[in-house]
Amino acid sequence: MSHKIEFILNGKSVCINTNANRRLLDILREEFQLTGTKEGCSIGECGACTVLMNNKAVNSCLVLAGQVNGSEILTIEGVAKNGLHKLQENFLMAGAIQCGFCTPGVIMSSYALLLENSNPTEEEIKEAIAGNLCRCTGYKQIIKAIKDTIS
Amino acid sequence: MIPDLEYIRAIDLNDTLKILDVKNGKVKVLAGGTDIITGLQQGFSRFAKIYKLLDIAQLNELKSISINEDSFEIGAGLTFSEIIANNNIATAYPLLVKAASTIGSVQIRNRATIGGNIINNAPCADSLSPLLVYDASVRIQSNKGAKEVLLKDFLSEAYRTNLEQNEIVTHIILPKILKTYIGDFYKLGRRRGVAISRLSLTVLIKCEKQIIEDLRIAGGAVTPVAMRFTNIEEMGIGKKVSNKLLISLSQEIGRKVLKVTGLRWSSAYKLPVVQQSLYQLLVNVCKKLNGTNVA
Repeated sequence: MSHKIEFILNGKSVCINTNANRRLLDILREEFQLTGTKEGCSIGECGACTVLMNNKAVNSCLVLAGQVNGSEILTIEGVAKNGLHKLQENFLMAGAIQCGFCTPGVIMSSYALLLENSNPTEEEIKEAIAGNLCRCTGYKQIIKAIKDTIS
Repeated sequence: MIPDLEYIRAIDLNDTLKILDVKNGKVKVLAGGTDIITGLQQGFSRFAKIYKLLDIAQLNELKSISINEDSFEIGAGLTFSEIIANNNIATAYPLLVKAASTIGSVQIRNRATIGGNIINNAPCADSLSPLLVYDASVRIQSNKGAKEVLLKDFLSEAYRTNLEQNEIVTHIILPKILKTYIGDFYKLGRRRGVAISRLSLTVLIKCEKQIIEDLRIAGGAVTPVAMRFTNIEEMGIGKKVSNKLLISLSQEIGRKVLKVTGLRWSSAYKLPVVQQSLYQLLVNVCKKLNGTNVA
């Protein structure tokens, strides 16, 4: 069944018609070609599809199309709208990227953390990115990159 | 892939109840969706016959928190992040907040609701054991009116509750609890973070001059439905706190779990862990009691 959905995507009002069984993840990648948001596990465990919904980190694989209506969505493309964000630059500097598949999700979780808490402790950083799995670089560099962004 | 379905967004609570009445039994209520959407995605059989979803996540009526003279009412639509962030809940029911903060990841806690955790009634649902020690009730509403049911009577079997098709849970009611109660929550998963519970235990004790006046113990993931261990509680109430007593209570939980679940391949591993976990939890809680040392 088709639905009309209106929401704010990376600061711009958008409107689409879509089927109710599609997820926010599908809409971002297929309707808007925002392929920075990755599909990993599809069941809310890996965090590769993390975006901000009303300023909160969510797994976009767990949000149905209809639930997006009226909300504000920020993806990695929105974070990098005016060139690389400081978090992204620090990920590069700290060697916190290897294959890069988890990176957009980790950045979005870190971004959400810094929105709420501009000076998080290491424990708070670890908690914020606990829902993002990285299988190559390792977390030390990622945590360092986030710490470098605070200081 | 998620099968084709119809999505309906409820306007308010009245609208929700009307829709549930008209579409009796043919619509599944959706809140945070962290169980339903993953279940649909993976084709779980218990979600196989869902064709219509009624979204209640945005209803403010289900997000209220009210503090009454003798109870707290917590909206069933509150996410775990919202519960953790609420200072009133943290002060009055710290074990609920401790359990809530161990659920999933930030991303999950930003969506998953306490009402959903109850309705889904997974054996490993982490909010249930603290809610059970706090003697929680659920407020259930339908077009015919509202009623309150004790949580322990509401949870029927794994992944099932006594909720009728035309009803929804609107609030969780927690009786006020004396400051003299001390307790703790313990969760054992396969890893430290973002883990599904293999075992969770909540203990609440009221002690006066080293005599246990009240003892409440609830567990999750070790039995098909989260439950209070009332026979163990009764063994402890009225007794003086001693290491010997705590050991005997902990041994008893092993016997009780075995009785409920029957002998399983995992029993040889799990039962000693259950016993040791309860013992450690009891020792730690007793240490917090003034002048009580059991070691």
